[in-house]
Amino acid sequence: MPGVKRGFWVQIHPNPAMKEFLVFLPITIVYLALKSTILVNLPLPDLPLIIVFYMAYRRPTIEGALMGFVLGYLDDAFNGGIIGTSSFALVVIFLAMHLLAKKVQFTTPAFRAGGVAVVALIKGVLTYSVLRFANVGVYFFTHVILMSLVTGILAPGIITLFQRLFSLFGPESFKGKAN
Amino acid sequence: MRSQKNVVSFLKKNQIIIASLALALFSLHLALTGRQEVERGFILREILSRTVSPMQRLMLGVQGSVKGVWSGYVNLTNVSEENERLRKTLTLVNEDNLRLKEEINLAERLKSILEYKDQLPHKSKAAVIIGFNKEPWARTVTIDKGAKDGIAKDLAVINPIGVVGRVIDVNTHTSQVLLGSDLRSNIDVIVQRSRIKGVAEGNGTDGFLLKYIRQVDDVRLGDMVITSGLSGVFPKGVAVGEVVKIEKGRDNFFKSIEVRPAVNIHQIEEVLVITETGLYAEE
Repeated sequence: MPGVKRGFWVQIHPNPAMKEFLVFLPITIVYLALKSTILVNLPLPDLPLIIVFYMAYRRPTIEGALMGFVLGYLDDAFNGGIIGTSSFALVVIFLAMHLLAKKVQFTTPAFRAGGVAVVALIKGVLTYSVLRFANVGVYFFTHVILMSLVTGILAPGIITLFQRLFSLFGPESFKGKAN
Repeated sequence: MRSQKNVVSFLKKNQIIIASLALALFSLHLALTGRQEVERGFILREILSRTVSPMQRLMLGVQGSVKGVWSGYVNLTNVSEENERLRKTLTLVNEDNLRLKEEINLAERLKSILEYKDQLPHKSKAAVIIGFNKEPWARTVTIDKGAKDGIAKDLAVINPIGVVGRVIDVNTHTSQVLLGSDLRSNIDVIVQRSRIKGVAEGNGTDGFLLKYIRQVDDVRLGDMVITSGLSGVFPKGVAVGEVVKIEKGRDNFFKSIEVRPAVNIHQIEEVLVITETGLYAEE
């Protein structure tokens, strides 16, 4: 009876990808709510991006792509941006990470930090491109680079937190768990 | 059949890529099509608006509560300072209010005294009482006019209501006025109704004794007593007081009559000094 040992949560939600989706969704909502209200002026890490990065390199699934879309959509909805820009960027990043993860292992904190910083820059470039294409004036360097740095620096710690969080729910082994 | 299997196999193998590309294109479509709600995913937006707004309201509510508590605390600490500031302001306003009222009263009194001064057929000088001396043996006041202002000894001091007293001492800038109620004061008077003559002496408190009125003389309670002008100090016809008590004298010849002064010395602040002398009445 291996299912009994997994505990209550896993018995109800046996699909790990769906389980992560259900965990990340409220976390993102709370984060975006804080970011768009109380912590507007603070340079916070791009949590949806880190989540997408985490899901893409660890367990790429259709749910992961869907999560990229939903988190991006939420990001735009909370921040009052043009709906679709962040979704587009996050889904593209998920796809790129999915393809890249076959060749690169983001198993050390330094790799993760560098990887997240790079994808944050990519997200910035994508968002900037879409917005420019939609004739919306944005400041690329001040916003994107700062966000990339903050996100990259904090990403390893946040990913470690995610791993510990999911280790409480189930015994699945993740690619980066050993680190 | 084989090609169909190949297609299914291809789709399964690349399902993530296909799904991602589809979602990316859909996102791009949302971003780049017009900004109208319907064109940019009205249904999704509607669903999210029901989760986003409450969450933001919740966060702002929590922030508002924390801010409210904090600002309440800060306000409380500021309230005492503000109260003190308001109290000082109120004190200043009250002082201003009192001062203005005083100035209005002063203006009215001065107007009254100036009108009276204009009516007087004698030269006079207005003065302000700046000091009282009410001792058992003396009833005097100090006025702010002296020799430099033309004040001299034995000049009459009156006000629009009646007799105040006479000058007994003169300094350069101030003068002492002996009040009519002083024991040393004697004023020649007549009873206005019956024209009976007498002398109003100060009783040492705040009244007069009307002297030298015989038992046969016609004096009644309520009769008005005025200056006779015979002494040459006070002009004739200035009110001295009202008869309030009549008794039979101890000597059975003169009556004992008390007169209440027309002027309440406690209520006056300005007086007129008649600067002319020898104001004898023309009989």
